[in-house]
Amino acid sequence: MTLGIMTAVGGFVDISELVFAAQAGSIFGYALIWVFALSTIGIMVFGEMSGRVAAVAHQPVFNLMRHRLGLKLGLVTLLASMVSTLITTAAELGGVGLVLHYLTGAPYLLMAVAGTLVLGASMWILPFKWIERTYGLLGLLMLVFAVSLVAIHPPWPKVAGGFVPQVPSGLSTKELLTFGYFGVAIISAVMFPYEAYFYSSGGIEEEWGPKDLPNNRLTATVGFALGSLLAISILASSAQLFGPVNVGPETPGTSALEAAIPFGKAGLLIALLGMLIAIAGAAVETCMANAYSVAQFFGWEWGRHKKPWEAPRFTIAWIGFLLLSLIIILTDVDVMTLVEYAIVFSIVVLPLTYLPLMLLARDKRYMGQYVNGPLANGLGWLFFAVVTAAAIAAIPLYVLTSGGQG
Amino acid sequence: MNPTDPIKLVAELLDLPIQDKDGRWCGVVDDVELSGTPGKQARLAALLVGPGAYRGRMPRWLFAISRSVLGDDIVRVPIAEVETIGSSVKLKCAATKLKLGSGDEKARAWVPRWGAL
Repeated sequence: MTLGIMTAVGGFVDISELVFAAQAGSIFGYALIWVFALSTIGIMVFGEMSGRVAAVAHQPVFNLMRHRLGLKLGLVTLLASMVSTLITTAAELGGVGLVLHYLTGAPYLLMAVAGTLVLGASMWILPFKWIERTYGLLGLLMLVFAVSLVAIHPPWPKVAGGFVPQVPSGLSTKELLTFGYFGVAIISAVMFPYEAYFYSSGGIEEEWGPKDLPNNRLTATVGFALGSLLAISILASSAQLFGPVNVGPETPGTSALEAAIPFGKAGLLIALLGMLIAIAGAAVETCMANAYSVAQFFGWEWGRHKKPWEAPRFTIAWIGFLLLSLIIILTDVDVMTLVEYAIVFSIVVLPLTYLPLMLLARDKRYMGQYVNGPLANGLGWLFFAVVTAAAIAAIPLYVLTSGGQG
Repeated sequence: MNPTDPIKLVAELLDLPIQDKDGRWCGVVDDVELSGTPGKQARLAALLVGPGAYRGRMPRWLFAISRSVLGDDIVRVPIAEVETIGSSVKLKCAATKLKLGSGDEKARAWVPRWGAL
């Protein structure tokens, strides 16, 4: 279960969620909650599928991708996902630096370096199960955002109304495009491809078999629902607290104020610590997801359940990705710009990630009695269509709205 | 699937990951070697593993880039060493016997053997 919590808390409530959920609430009130809810069902469907394929066919997503897409298209997908995941890791390391800077007052870049060293050491020293437990369970401090939402007494009927698919009326063309950009960004942030790479590889690390399928279903459902609850809480608090006074929460620090308003210093501290762990967990996930992808594509020995020297190329790969991400941050690039690039690149990779997964999960030769049923097939194709449409719209919307700035 | 059964090469064999008898991941089926004469049934003779086997599978310019980054080694895995073909190819022997996964052996020298719990 901790694998699901880590994937969901680190995957959902990472730096991009913190920024996009809070901004979406501030600009459009509760009107984008339904996009979070819809995308959550999407990641539950593909998360469950990737876990099932890992348990039954013992194949992680990137092995399938190359087998199903072939060498050339597989190589293109590998490169695109490496770039998008590397940018995401860099954004997360920047986020870790920012939150440590808020907590200690020390210079941001120094904190980014210190944070990266601690993360790297934890990935080296801790066995896979302890990596999951540490980042998954401590990330539950993020629940302070859900408690804070209850404490500020939001207009619950309006929050509930946000779950109904809608486009707010009376928006200008520019505002409609911005609404569309935020919708696409939320789909991308919720369904980040690295979540499937990490979750399915983690299932194989834990040696899942068919007996683990009920646990997989529960983990994918409860874990991602938890992540969604936290993200929607951040959005709704922002709609209640920031929107009416025209505060644009453009940095993660503003989101932390959502817990400070009802609970004072203690709330602020818990929120910042929760954010630190969740963003650090996402940095670990993205870094390892990239190493998993490369190792699986080329057939190297891989896995963090082994000692680092037992899977040496995999180890060198994750250390290399971590250092490259740190170098990106040390150029002093704006973290929020990295977040936007990560979102746009990731959505373009999503269809190529989920198509091979769908094809294998519905193939009876590999999956036997655990093949997709009508519900998994129907929802799988529906969400494949959704991510494909979002992928086509992402870059034009990014350009037309200057990255959501209108 | 038994390696002597009829097989769709592209759909069922190319780009499958390979595991040795101990479960170690040790490569991917990058190409295949067939035996036989024109007009007769082709038989699978060996699996070809390594970036050198990309030659016929990508445009010349892309292969040139790949060769400069990944090299052009090829390891030949005789079909007699294949146990089963399914969602991965399982070998009857250890990877080291066929010199598969030699990149991991070389990389091992660069990774310290301390500290991990």
